Amino acid sequence: MKLEGEQFLDADPMTVWAALFDREVLAAAIPGCESLDQTSDTEFAAVVKLKVGPVSARFKGDVVLSDIVPGHSCTLSGKGSGGIAGFAKGAAQVTLTPEGAGVRLRYDADVAVGGKLAALGSRLIKSTAQKLTDAFFTNLSEILAVPETAGPV
Amino acid sequence: MKVLVNTKVNGTPVQEAVTPRSSLADFLRDDLGLTGTHLGCEMGACGACLVLLDGAPVHACLVLAVQAEGGTVETVEGLTETGAVADLQENFHDRNALQCGYCTSGMLMSAQALLARNAAPSRDEIRDALSGNYCRCTGYEAIVDAIAATGRARAAATESAQAASANTEAAE
Amino acid sequence: MTLHIGQPQRRENARRHLAGRGRFVSDLALPRMLHAVFVRSPMAKGRILDIDTEAASLCPGVLRIFTAADLNPRCQPWVGTLDHFAGMQSPPMNILAEDEVLWAGHPVAMILAHSRAEAEDAADQVLVDIEDAEPVTGGAPVLLPGAPRANEAADSNLCYETLLETPDVDRAFAEAAHVVEAAFTFGRHTAVTLEPRAVVADYDPASGALTVHHGTQTPYQFQDVYARHFGLPEGKVRVIAPDVGGSFGMKLHVYNEEMGAVAASLILGRPVRYVADRLESFVSDIHARDHDVHGRMAVAADGTILAMEVDDLTRIGAVSAYPRTSAAEGNQVIRLMGAPYRMPDYRGKLSVAFQNKVQTSQYRAVGHPIACAVTEALVERAAEATGCDPFEIRARNLIADDAYPHVSATGYQFEKLSHQACLARLREMMDPDALRVEQAALRTRGIYRGFGIASFVEITNPGATFYGIGGARISAQDGAVVRMLPSGDIHCAISVTEQGQGTETIIAQVVADQLGVAPERVSVTTGDTATTPSGGANWACRGAGIGGETALRAGRQLRDRILTLAGALVQADPATLRLAGGAVVDAASGAPRIALEEIGRIATYRPDTLPHGVDHSLTVAHHFAPVGYPFDFTNGIQGSLVEVDTETGLVKLLKHWVVEDCGRIINPLLVDEQIRGGVVQGLGPAFFEECQYDVDGQLTNGSLADYLVPMAVEMPDIEIAHIETPTQDTILGAKGVGEAGTAAAGAAAMNAVNDALRPFGACLTQTPMTPLRILDALDAALKERTAP
Repeated sequence: MKLEGEQFLDADPMTVWAALFDREVLAAAIPGCESLDQTSDTEFAAVVKLKVGPVSARFKGDVVLSDIVPGHSCTLSGKGSGGIAGFAKGAAQVTLTPEGAGVRLRYDADVAVGGKLAALGSRLIKSTAQKLTDAFFTNLSEILAVPETAGPV
Repeated sequence: MKVLVNTKVNGTPVQEAVTPRSSLADFLRDDLGLTGTHLGCEMGACGACLVLLDGAPVHACLVLAVQAEGGTVETVEGLTETGAVADLQENFHDRNALQCGYCTSGMLMSAQALLARNAAPSRDEIRDALSGNYCRCTGYEAIVDAIAATGRARAAATESAQAASANTEAAE
Repeated sequence: MTLHIGQPQRRENARRHLAGRGRFVSDLALPRMLHAVFVRSPMAKGRILDIDTEAASLCPGVLRIFTAADLNPRCQPWVGTLDHFAGMQSPPMNILAEDEVLWAGHPVAMILAHSRAEAEDAADQVLVDIEDAEPVTGGAPVLLPGAPRANEAADSNLCYETLLETPDVDRAFAEAAHVVEAAFTFGRHTAVTLEPRAVVADYDPASGALTVHHGTQTPYQFQDVYARHFGLPEGKVRVIAPDVGGSFGMKLHVYNEEMGAVAASLILGRPVRYVADRLESFVSDIHARDHDVHGRMAVAADGTILAMEVDDLTRIGAVSAYPRTSAAEGNQVIRLMGAPYRMPDYRGKLSVAFQNKVQTSQYRAVGHPIACAVTEALVERAAEATGCDPFEIRARNLIADDAYPHVSATGYQFEKLSHQACLARLREMMDPDALRVEQAALRTRGIYRGFGIASFVEITNPGATFYGIGGARISAQDGAVVRMLPSGDIHCAISVTEQGQGTETIIAQVVADQLGVAPERVSVTTGDTATTPSGGANWACRGAGIGGETALRAGRQLRDRILTLAGALVQADPATLRLAGGAVVDAASGAPRIALEEIGRIATYRPDTLPHGVDHSLTVAHHFAPVGYPFDFTNGIQGSLVEVDTETGLVKLLKHWVVEDCGRIINPLLVDEQIRGGVVQGLGPAFFEECQYDVDGQLTNGSLADYLVPMAVEMPDIEIAHIETPTQDTILGAKGVGEAGTAAAGAAAMNAVNDALRPFGACLTQTPMTPLRILDALDAALKERTAP
C-alpha cells in the first residue's frame, strides 16, 4: 500500500530536521503514542495504541532511520506487532525542500499490514493510515509553531 | 463491574446484572439460556441472531444487553410458546424450509416482520426481505415458498374474518 | 411391500429447530468449563523469535496459557498423506506452531480463561515476535527448481503429482478436425457454515474417559483420531456430534484448534470449549478449489469428442490436510474430466503445490465443479467449432443409455446412467428454441440473456477404494442396531449422521417399511460413538445409499426374528406370516395374527411363557459395506438462464433447471432440497465467493461483509426433475444426491454467461465471475475487435 503526501512547515529546515530526531517531539506528534524510547542515535522503540475499523491494538514496534542526508532526506523503516490484531511494517522516504521562510516536507511510504488488521480492516486501512499520517504532520507543525519559550523545559 | 438490566423477555420480567459490553445475544444465550438465538457472524450480516426488540427485528449481536433496558424482547422460544408464528413454523416444516436449523430462528423473525408490514408479499419481495438472512443449506426457495404460503393463508383468514363481520353487520 | 420409501415424509427433528430447540455444540455449557482462544500468526511465513505471554497471564479470568512447548508433546503429530498417492509428501503438523509459522492464522498460543471475552482480552496482550520471510503465494513458478519453499520441512513445493493417459491420446489430437482449448482459473472459497466449528472436550481424570462434544459429520473417525493421537484406549473416547450447523465436508478434517481443546482438557482435567468466531473460521477452516487448469479437446468434424487433455495445478496449504489429504480434490478433478461422454482418449496431469495459505481440502462435490466446468466449457467451444447447438453436441456424445456397463477414459466404471434421458427431459423443461427466440428479440433492445447447460457425473456410495486402501482409518462400512421396544415401537441406532439433510427421517422410512409400521413408530439415534455402531458416518454421499441399505438389511433381520418368535407364539410356520400395520399378519390373507406390542410384552415381561429354547431377543446389529462397483455414480444435467448487464457487469440469475438421477428416491421432499441447496452452493463460488489474498499471503476479506455468500435475493427459482435408475448393487437401489447440485451449477452458469456475452465475443474462464471480471472480459473483447 502506497501512501504519499506533503506538508508545509513554517520553520527552517534544520529545526524541522532536528525535530524529526527529537524523542520528545516525536512522542508528542505520533498519534496514540504511549511510549517512545531512543535506543541509539537512529533507532527508536515505540508503543502506540491505534484503532483501525473494528480492530484496536497496542503496537510495539521499532523504527530505524537510515540513508540520512542531514537537513535534506532520510528513510524511516519500521515494523510494529499488534499481537492478535496483526502487524504493520513499512518504509517511508522523507525529503525536506526549503520553500520561502519554511520548508516543504514530502513523504513516500510503502506500508503492509497483516493478520486481523488485513482480514477485517483492509477497506479501512488506507484511509486510516492517511488520517494518522496527516495527524502526525499536523501535530508536528503545531509543535513547531509554538514559540521557543513555550517548548519543553 | 456489572450493571443491572431490567427488561421483559418473552413476557417475563427479567432483572440481571451484566457487564456493560455484553451483547444482547450473549445475554440471551449465556445468562438466560435462550440458545434458540444463534450467532453466525457477530457483525449483523447473517441474521442468525435476529430477535424482536419492542416488536422490531434487531441483530442481537450488535445490540448491547443494556440497550434492552426497559424494553421487551421476544425470541424464537417466546414466539413459539405464544403460538404467534405457529403457522409459519408449520409451513416451514411442510416445505422442508430448513436443514441444519441454525438460520431458522432468524428466518422466522424476518418473515414475521415482513408479513406484519406486507400481508401478501410477492416472491421477489420475500427474497428482498430475506436479504440479511444467510442460509447455507436450503437454496432459499423452500423458505420463500413457506413464507408465501403463510402470507396467503393469513390474508385469506383476514378476508374471511372481514367478510364474516360484514355479514354480521348486514344482518343487523 | 413399499409404503413409505418414496414418500415426501417431513422431518421430525425439524420441529425442534423451528421451536429454537436445536442442540448445537456452541450452545453447550458444562460445569467448570474453560474457554479457549488462540493467538495466531499474523505473518504468512516466518520464524518465531519470542512469544511474550507475561502480561496476558496477569489478565483477569486467565487460567493457563499454552505455547507449543507445553501443549504439543501431549499430541502425536499428524501427517496428511495416503499410501495410494504414490510419492506424496506432507510434513507433520502439531497443535501450535513450534518454530515456523506457515500461514496467516497459524495458531501459536492458546489461552484458557473463564470466559471467551476474558480469553480474548488476554490474547490482545500476547506479543509474538516473528521474523517474517517471503511467503509462497504464487502460481506455477512455485514448482520451479530452487523456488523458495512454503514449508522448509518439505523438500520442494510439490506435494503430489500424477498422470493419467490412454495410449492413443496423441493420435486422437493429431487426427482431430478441431482442437479447442482454454485456460481456466477457479478461485479459492470456503464452506462458511452458519454455525462455526465448535468443540467441547471433557476429560475426566477420575475415570480416564474423554468425551468430546464435537460439531462434526464423522464422529467415529474422530474417536479413532483422538485415541491414537493422545494415546488413549479407544473405548475410553466418546465423541458426540449433536445438531451440527452445517458441515459440507468442512467438518471432517483434523484441525489444530480441536486437537488443542482435547490436549488442554487432558492436561487441565476440565472441560475446554472452543468455538471459532467468523474471522477464525476464515483463517482456519479448510478452503476449497484453487485450481489453474489448461484444457484441450479434440473433436471430429461431425462434433464427435475424441479426446481431452488437461493440466491441473492446484495450490493447497503449507501441509496437506489430515486424514483425507489435500490431494483427493485434484485427483477427482482429473478423473472426472469428460466423464459423461463416450470420449475414448484422455491425458490428465495433476500437480498439487504447497503455499503459505490456509490448507485446502475436501468440500462439497470434491473436484466435481472443476472437472465439470472445464469439460462443459470445452464442449461449448467444440459445439461452436463444429456448428452444433449445445443440446445437439451433447446428444451426439453423451454415453447412450443402453451402453452400460461403461468404463470412462479415466478408468471409472459406470454401472448404469441415464444421460440421454436427462438431456431429453431438460430440453422439455427449458424449451431452448423459445429461449433462442426470446434471446434474439431482447438483444435488439440491448438486453443480453444467455443460457447454458452442463452434464455431470457424481461419485456416491464410496467403498474402501477411496481412503481405506491408502491406509487411512476412515470407515468404508456403516452399521445399524435395530430393536423392537416392549411397546412394539422400533428404535434404530445407526452410524450415518444428521446435519439437517434428513438422514434420520429416511432411515425411519426404510426401517418402517421392513417392519410394517408407520415411520412415526421408528425413532432413530445418530451421532454418538457410545450409543451407535461404528461407521463412515457422513461423507461423499453415503447416507441414503450405504446407510439406507444398512438399515434395510438390519430391519429385515429384525423382521425375521419377529416372525420366528411370532410363529412360536401363534403356532404357525413363520414363512406364512408377514408384518403389516404394526402387527404380524397372515401372509396370504392379511388377517391379523398378533400385534407387535403383544410380542414385545411377552418377549420382555413374560419370556417364561415362551416354549423352551425360543429366542426372544429382538435386537439385531448389521454392518454393510458397498459391494460390486467401487462407487455408485449418479448423473444428471443442469441448465442456467442469466441476464448480464453489460454496463455494470452484474448478472441476474433468472432460472435454474436440474434433471438428476440418484437411483431410488427415498424421500422426494428431502432430495429436492438437497439439490437446491447444492445448486446454490455451486452458484456462490461461480459468482461471488472468493478468499482474496494479497501478495504477502494475507487474507483480505475475512468477514461476511467482505466475503460474499449467495443470499435469497440473488438466487433463482430452481426447477427439478428426476430420472430413477436404481443401482443393482443393493436391495434398496438408492445412490447419493448431496453433491449433485454443486457439481454442475457453476459450469452451467459459466456457459450461460458466455452465451449472453457471445455478441461481444467476450468469454469468461475464471470464477468467481465478478462484475469486474465480466467488464474486463468485455474490454478485452472490444480491444481485440478494434485492434488493427
